[in-house]
Amino acid sequence: MTWELFAVFVGSSLRLAVPLLLAGTGELVSERAGVLNMSIEGMMLAGAFAAAVGAWATGSPMLGLMICVIAVLPVALLQALLSNTLRANQIVTGIGINILILGATTLAYREIFGARSREQIPGLSKWSPPLLGNIPYFGEAVFQQVWLLYAGLAIIALTALVLRYTSIGLVVHAAGAEPRAVDKSGISVTLVRYLVVIFAGFMSALAGAFLSIGDIHTFTEGMTRGAGYLAIAAVIFGKWTIGGCILACLLFGAATALQFQLPTLGIDVPNALLIMLPYLLALLAVGGLTGRQTAPRALGEPYFRR
Amino acid sequence: MTDVATHKPRSWRVMPAPSVVISIAAVLAAGLLGVVLIFAMGVSVSDALAAFIQGTVGTPYAIAASINRSIAFALVGIGFVIANRANLVNVGGEGQIAVGGIAATAVALYGHVEGLPAGLAFLIPLLAATVAGMLWGSIAAALKIKAGTNEVISTLLLSFIAVWLLYWCVQSPVLLRKPMTSSATLPESLEIPDATKLPLLTGDYSFPVHIGLPATVVIAIVAAIVLAKTVFGLRLRAVGFNPIAASRAGISYSRMVLLSLAAAGALGGLAGGFMLLGEQYVLKDGFSSGYGFDGLVAGLLARGSIVGVIAAALLFGFLRSGGINMEMVAAVPTALVMVIQGLIVVTLAGAAYFIGRRP
Amino acid sequence: MLSPPPVAAREKTGTTAEPLTEPLLALQGVTKRFGSLVALSDASLDIMPGEVHCILGENGAGKSTLCNLIFGVHVPDQGTMRFRGERYQPSGPSDALASGIAMVHQHFSLVHDMTVVDNVILGLQRGFVNTRSWAQRLDRLARDYGFALDPYAKIEDLSVGERQRVEIVKCLIREPRLFVLDEPTAVLLPDEIAALLAVCRRVADNGCAVVLVTHKLAEIKKAADRVTVLRGGQVVARSDHPAQEIDALVRAMIQGDVKSLDKSAASVLGVVEAGAAAAATTPPESPATEAVQIDGLTVIDSQGVTRLDNFTLSIGPGEIVGVAGVEGNGQSELAAVLSGMTAPSRGRIFLGDIETTQLSPKQLTAAGVGVVPEDRHAVGCIVEMSVAENMFLNRLEDFTSQGFLRHRALVAAARELMTRFDVRAAGPEVAFSALSGGNQQKAVLAREITLPKLLFLLAAQPTRGLDVGAVAAVYNHIRAACRRGAAVLLISSELDELIAVADRIVVLYRGRIMGNCAANPSERERIGAMMAGQAA
Repeated sequence: MTWELFAVFVGSSLRLAVPLLLAGTGELVSERAGVLNMSIEGMMLAGAFAAAVGAWATGSPMLGLMICVIAVLPVALLQALLSNTLRANQIVTGIGINILILGATTLAYREIFGARSREQIPGLSKWSPPLLGNIPYFGEAVFQQVWLLYAGLAIIALTALVLRYTSIGLVVHAAGAEPRAVDKSGISVTLVRYLVVIFAGFMSALAGAFLSIGDIHTFTEGMTRGAGYLAIAAVIFGKWTIGGCILACLLFGAATALQFQLPTLGIDVPNALLIMLPYLLALLAVGGLTGRQTAPRALGEPYFRR
Repeated sequence: MTDVATHKPRSWRVMPAPSVVISIAAVLAAGLLGVVLIFAMGVSVSDALAAFIQGTVGTPYAIAASINRSIAFALVGIGFVIANRANLVNVGGEGQIAVGGIAATAVALYGHVEGLPAGLAFLIPLLAATVAGMLWGSIAAALKIKAGTNEVISTLLLSFIAVWLLYWCVQSPVLLRKPMTSSATLPESLEIPDATKLPLLTGDYSFPVHIGLPATVVIAIVAAIVLAKTVFGLRLRAVGFNPIAASRAGISYSRMVLLSLAAAGALGGLAGGFMLLGEQYVLKDGFSSGYGFDGLVAGLLARGSIVGVIAAALLFGFLRSGGINMEMVAAVPTALVMVIQGLIVVTLAGAAYFIGRRP
Repeated sequence: MLSPPPVAAREKTGTTAEPLTEPLLALQGVTKRFGSLVALSDASLDIMPGEVHCILGENGAGKSTLCNLIFGVHVPDQGTMRFRGERYQPSGPSDALASGIAMVHQHFSLVHDMTVVDNVILGLQRGFVNTRSWAQRLDRLARDYGFALDPYAKIEDLSVGERQRVEIVKCLIREPRLFVLDEPTAVLLPDEIAALLAVCRRVADNGCAVVLVTHKLAEIKKAADRVTVLRGGQVVARSDHPAQEIDALVRAMIQGDVKSLDKSAASVLGVVEAGAAAAATTPPESPATEAVQIDGLTVIDSQGVTRLDNFTLSIGPGEIVGVAGVEGNGQSELAAVLSGMTAPSRGRIFLGDIETTQLSPKQLTAAGVGVVPEDRHAVGCIVEMSVAENMFLNRLEDFTSQGFLRHRALVAAARELMTRFDVRAAGPEVAFSALSGGNQQKAVLAREITLPKLLFLLAAQPTRGLDVGAVAAVYNHIRAACRRGAAVLLISSELDELIAVADRIVVLYRGRIMGNCAANPSERERIGAMMAGQAA
């Protein structure tokens, strides 16, 4: 394999990993604080849809991006309400929201665009960092990416810093491990959990926006195709650390990129198997390939004072 | 001695107490919203409703199709309820249906069963479908037992894998794709031999309800009895409430997990077998699409009761038929049905707070 | 003078004549219900600044509820609270903390995988965290009060006593005006108890009022300035000179005479010298064959830490051996292995001639091993299921016919058992959760003791949280099992209990047996020393 092909592979792996990285980081923070959001998939799809429609309607991808964040907010609030205040089963509500959003976005898409998919939508522009983009052979393939990727990486780095070095990080950690400790320190566990769900929603919105107006500049029905679940699997695989989650997302991204890469190398593997690969990897990951995982103690358990 | 997996918090029990009123209310409210949406889309509500009714009960064929659909939902829903007694959430119905369908078609087409006597021609493929689904469910069980893997994630991922497996089977001439006579040959299997098709109740193709119906009724009755009256059902409940205490009392956690998820998978596989051998006769890509979730929602709506599953399955079976017809005739996308289902789930989950929950 | 119920602000008639002072905290007619259970009824009391005020009462008397109301965890249904003269209506711990009230709970709320300093910072600091300066403050504070604390240690590596000190420091660093401790001494070594009471005294001398909740009279004698006695959710007595009025306090607490109490149960309260309640059974001199032999049992956890180290012990039939030690020194791991829940890393267990090391819980039950686990709700019972189902959960085969459950037979058998063991409930088919703690424990005991041939009974902390009546019942049943020839291993962090009930005692410290001796009150100091890690 030539360097150029390898560079293209790295570049596509990164590109395909971005939605997972964004959504995964959001979900990581939420799960650290004890809330499991199966609805990441739905929030990503809602974000993808809102960004696409927003960009198409206003002609500006930036406005589309902002609209998408605002549009996903109510979904996140709904999930937060169900999980924290109404103390509903977090799995069930997540799946319910996913079904609802899948139906709603498909419905709305048909209504707005008719049956014509592949409608061209103004997309986000690309950017590459000053020096790295000019490296011969692979500078362009690897580093010329949609600017949202770099913004996303910056947000992820910031999140890691906040979790590690600030009081917010302490509170998030405690809310997931021992919510009573947070409550007895005078901080509202419910408020913390609402905020992390909203953060997860925000990141999922960005992830979805990347899919539609960042990557392929269009919207197709159900375009997330299980990426939200892969993000959840990445969080588990990474043992609820940011570093682990990033690695897992990159791995899944690379697995997805193989789909396009192997044919160019002349290796003939049935397409279906390649598409299946990330899910298979994710299954192996959560199936204990990396040893028994320890989730935050209070994950999935709504908190209330006894 | 197995190390019992960490106790899942009580709140992960899917639904607390039976309350039929809430279920019905949720369905009605969601249905009402559906009507509102139809109106908002600018479609004539009366046209849409007419198309809906036509699609559900307009012709004997429509009714039969709805019933056949309900069979699949009911089986998945029963499987969901069984697993849920042990506090396990099986979300992989669609994948289990898919592998069931694959197995049924493969055996029917290439298993040399057409010549067999006395119904074995279709019973053996059905068995194959059931076994395939059972194995698929057992994978998730094994992961749970060995590594404590959350079965929601594992069954879901397995579902995606199965769907792509199906795609591969119908795309690849080496597997189940029918011989390509031209470039326009569709990616699907050959039609299964007549002997392997399930007999119809009336023998009349204008009302093609197959023997899956009485079979499902029997299965439902057996499931209800097992859950309520047998020691196995009691042990399942014990493990669902408190796996550690159950383990200390001598109940094998791993056996209960395996049996319940295997049962759920088996029922899903059987549903796939019924769909292939009873209605579709040809294995196509995406044939299981949406059936998993419909069955899941039926299981949720039923709140642990088998009778509830039947009722919900019938509801969704007819809902789907109506939805398809609404799309064909009145241009109302079937996605509307999904919206209604999503609303029902969310409403029910949220309503649990207001009924029977002690803070 | 021992005085009965309500009056508003009262004068403090101490040994030193003091001017009338306003109470720091005044509760008036406070009532709290949980569903149909009335936890606290028309309770009134006041706490004066700078005093150590003990709340005395049996388990179930309402002491914890009282604390939770003060700390804002619950809201009273009736009555008023006044703090520093103003209406005090906290809607949550943050209100209590803001008012200057801090509390150490019975069950700590510490984050296990965080360090001491991080746990303390939680809720106190916003923005960027300067761990170093907080660590220094912590260190200084701990020294001021006379104990040492490593700010960078992780909670999971600390002993129970050390964890409690973290909880205390978490409170004191906020410079509270009222400091509440809920049953703090239950988890401490004998000399740690003395140290804690000294800290309370210092805190009170610095002007902060201390509320100490306890059911131990020895602590009252040593530390209390004033006492309020709770029984059945009501305030039944007060005392301004508790050290002189102990007998009257006991009478108020248990509504009866000390004489009428089961001796062993009374000794747990510290009412009676444990020696006066010597074991009712006389152990066989040297048993012919050992009923239970545990040889070199070692448990190494998933992180490679040795939790139980070379535990070797023999128990004869009809003998009660007590395992003393503060919680967290290997008792849980010992119980887990003996009940078949985990496999030991090394070592063997024999029941008579049969090796039972690798047996599953089901096989152990069949072999005649009964277990009353430490954590009833996690391991011993399933609260959502009925009483009948719980009482025969490990013997369902006896009620199975062709796979079906013989429901009527199950219920009848349960009813009979409930009568025999005085398990009070509306019926065998009510949910187990509807039973009181004492009745639940009696039910679990009934299940284990009535095994067809009970050879070995393991009871871990069997009387924790139970009222005196239930405690007496538990002891009687254990002794009855002994008389029938069972070997009993009693794990308890209550030394008084072991001295009163057991024949001999082994002491666990950091997973190792430090020594063993007869269950005699004269050995108390030696045992205490071993519990603290000093070899015999």
